[in-house]
Amino acid sequence: MNQRSLIRADFITAVVLITLGLATLYGSWTMDRLEIRRIHPASVPGLVPGGLGLAIAVCGALLLIRSVRSGGHRPLSGDGSFTRWLHSIEARRLALAAVLCLVYPLVLVGWLPFWLATGLFVFAFIVVFEWSPQDSEAAPSSARRRAVLLWAAVQAVLVAAIVSIVFQELFLVRLP
Amino acid sequence: MLENLDMLGVAIAHFLTFDAVLNVAWATLLGIVIGSLPGLTATMGVALLTTLTYHMPQDQAILVLICMYVGAIYGGSRSAILLNIPGTPASAATSLDGYPLAIQGKAGYAMGLATTGSALGTIIGIVCLAVFAPMLAELAFDFGTYEFFWLAVFGVIISGQLTSLADPLKGYIAGFLGLLVAMIGMESVHGHVRFSFGIQEMAGGINLIPAMVGAFGFAEILTVMKRRRAEIVAKSVDSVFPRTRDLWRYKRTIGRSGILGTFIGVIPGVGEDIGAWVSYAAARRASKERDRFGKGSYEGLTAAETGNSAVIPGALIPALTLAVPGSAPAAVLIAAMFIHGIRPGPMIMIETPMFVFQVVAMLLLATLAILVYGLSLTKLLILVLRIPREKLMPVVYVLCVIGPFAIYQRLFDVYVMIAFGIIGFVLREMKYPMAPLVLGIILGELLDKSLRRGLILTDGDLTPFITRPISMVLWVTTLIVVLMSIPPIKRGVAGGVRRLLRRSEVRP
Repeated sequence: MNQRSLIRADFITAVVLITLGLATLYGSWTMDRLEIRRIHPASVPGLVPGGLGLAIAVCGALLLIRSVRSGGHRPLSGDGSFTRWLHSIEARRLALAAVLCLVYPLVLVGWLPFWLATGLFVFAFIVVFEWSPQDSEAAPSSARRRAVLLWAAVQAVLVAAIVSIVFQELFLVRLP
Repeated sequence: MLENLDMLGVAIAHFLTFDAVLNVAWATLLGIVIGSLPGLTATMGVALLTTLTYHMPQDQAILVLICMYVGAIYGGSRSAILLNIPGTPASAATSLDGYPLAIQGKAGYAMGLATTGSALGTIIGIVCLAVFAPMLAELAFDFGTYEFFWLAVFGVIISGQLTSLADPLKGYIAGFLGLLVAMIGMESVHGHVRFSFGIQEMAGGINLIPAMVGAFGFAEILTVMKRRRAEIVAKSVDSVFPRTRDLWRYKRTIGRSGILGTFIGVIPGVGEDIGAWVSYAAARRASKERDRFGKGSYEGLTAAETGNSAVIPGALIPALTLAVPGSAPAAVLIAAMFIHGIRPGPMIMIETPMFVFQVVAMLLLATLAILVYGLSLTKLLILVLRIPREKLMPVVYVLCVIGPFAIYQRLFDVYVMIAFGIIGFVLREMKYPMAPLVLGIILGELLDKSLRRGLILTDGDLTPFITRPISMVLWVTTLIVVLMSIPPIKRGVAGGVRRLLRRSEVRP
C-alpha cells in the first residue's frame, strides 16, 4: 500500500473507529446496570466497555484529523493507482487465495464430509496457483500441467487422509 | 539459592527421558522449519501446535510448545539470510547483515553465527529467568487489584508504543480493539453477558487460540500468497562452524544484546522483533566497525540474533509470574497453560514452584536442540526453503481450520478464526501492529475485573489507584509514554533537553 492509499485508508478507518467507539459507548450506557441485584454502582458491567468505546472514538477522531490534514478525505480516483493495483498480479493472487480460503470452511465443510472437503480444497488450491503461475513469464507445458494435476491429487489425498485420521482417531475429534 | 539450584537439577532430570528427548527433537525441528518458511510465524506455530497438544500430559505439552517457540524464532534467520525475507518478524534485523553475507558467499558462516548467537542469547535469558522469576513472583504478592489494573493499562500502552514507534496512535488503537474484543461474553464480576447480540456461542467470549490462529495464520497465508516468489541466493554453503576468535571478539556485543533482549522480553507485549532491533541499534552505536553494519557485519548479525532469542526467556518471566505475556507467542503459551491446568500468576511459586524450573529446563533443552540442528542440518534446511508455497499453504490452512474447531468441536471457533484472519490482514496492510491486539485480548479481563473490584473495595474512591507506590510508578510511566508520543510535546522535551545540555557545556 503506497503512502497516498494509506492516508485514504486511515480516513476510512477513522470513520469506522469513531462509529464503533460511539456505538460501544451507547451500548455500554444502555447496558443493564443490575440495580435489581443491588450491585455497587461503581461496578456496573458497562463501565470498562464504555471507557474503551470513548478511547476508540477519541483515537479515531485523532486519526481522522491527521488524515484530513494530509488530504485523506479526497477520493483516490485522480492518479488511477487503485485501479492499477486492482488489475495487478498481486491483487489477483490475493483474491484467488481469499476466495479459496473462504469457500472451504464456509461452504465445503459441513456440506461435504470433512475428508472430501479438505481433499477438494487442497487440490483446487494447488491447481489454481500452479496451473498458470502468474509470477513467471512463460506458460507451463502440457506435460508440466499433467504433473501439476497428478501431484495435486496425490497431496490432496494424503492431506485429507492424514488430517482426518489424526484428528478423528488420535485426538477423538468429531469432525464437522 | 541452593534450593533453587536443586530444583533446577530435579527439573532437568525430569526431562531426561526418551519421550521428552523425542518431543524436544521433533518439536524444535518443526519450529525451525516453521520459522524458516516466510509466512509461518512463531505465534502461528505455537497456536497451531497448542491445538494438537490437548491429549498430551501437561509437562510434555508445554515442553513441545516451548521447543516450537524457540525453534521458530531461531528458524526465521534462515530465510532472512538466504532469501532476504525474514521467516518471522523477529529476524528482520538479521537480514540486514545476513543477506549481504550470503551474497558474499558466506551464507554458511552467517547461519553458524546466527545459531551460536541465538543459543547464547537464549542462555543469557534463561539465567535471568531462573534468577528473576522467583524474585518477581515474590514482588507480585504486593500487587493488589489496583496494581493489576494499572499493569494491564501499562502493558497495552507500552506495547502499542514500542511495536509502532513510527505511529504510536495505531499501536494504541490495536491495543484498545484487543481490549474491546475481551469485553465480549460473560464478565467475571457479576456474571453479566455483554455484547453477545443473542448469539449463544458469544456468551462464552472470544477464545484466544482461534483468534490467534486467524490473525497470525490465515492473515499470513493471504500475505504470502499475495507476494511474488523469492529466490534463494546460496545453492551451496561454506563452513557453518563459527570461529572462537569471532565469538570472543564480540563477547561484549553478545552480553549486551542478551541482557537488552531479556529486558525487552520482560516488557509486556513487545516481543522478539523489537528485541532484535534494539540490540542491533545498541551494537551499532558501540561498535568500532559501525561502517560495516548493513553491508555484512558479523557483529550486527550476532547482535540481532542474540537479541531476538534472549527475548524468549525474558517474555516468559512476566508470563509465568504475572500472567502478563512479554510477546505474542508467550500470550498463546499462557492460554495453553490454562488449557493444561497450569495457573500462571503470582501464586505460581506457591502452587507449582517446580513448574518455573521445568520451564527453565525446557528452554535449555530447546537451546541445545537448535545448536545441534543449526550446525548439522544446514543443507536440509535450505531444502525446506525450496518447498513451494502453493503446496505448503493449503496444508497450513487446513490446520488453521481444524485446529480451532478441535478445541470445543464447534464451527463458531472456525468463524472466529476467519473473522480475525480478515481483520488481521487488513490491519496489517494498514500498518497496525498485531502484538497490542493480542495483549489487549489477554489483558482485557484482568483490566475489567481489577478496576471494578477495586472500586467496590474503595466504595467508588479512586485514591488508592493513584497513591499506592507500585500503582503510582505504573500510571506515571504510562502517562509519560502517552505524552511523549504526542509530537509537539516530544519536540518540546527534546528541545529543552538539548538547550540544557548546551548550557551545561558552555559553563566551565
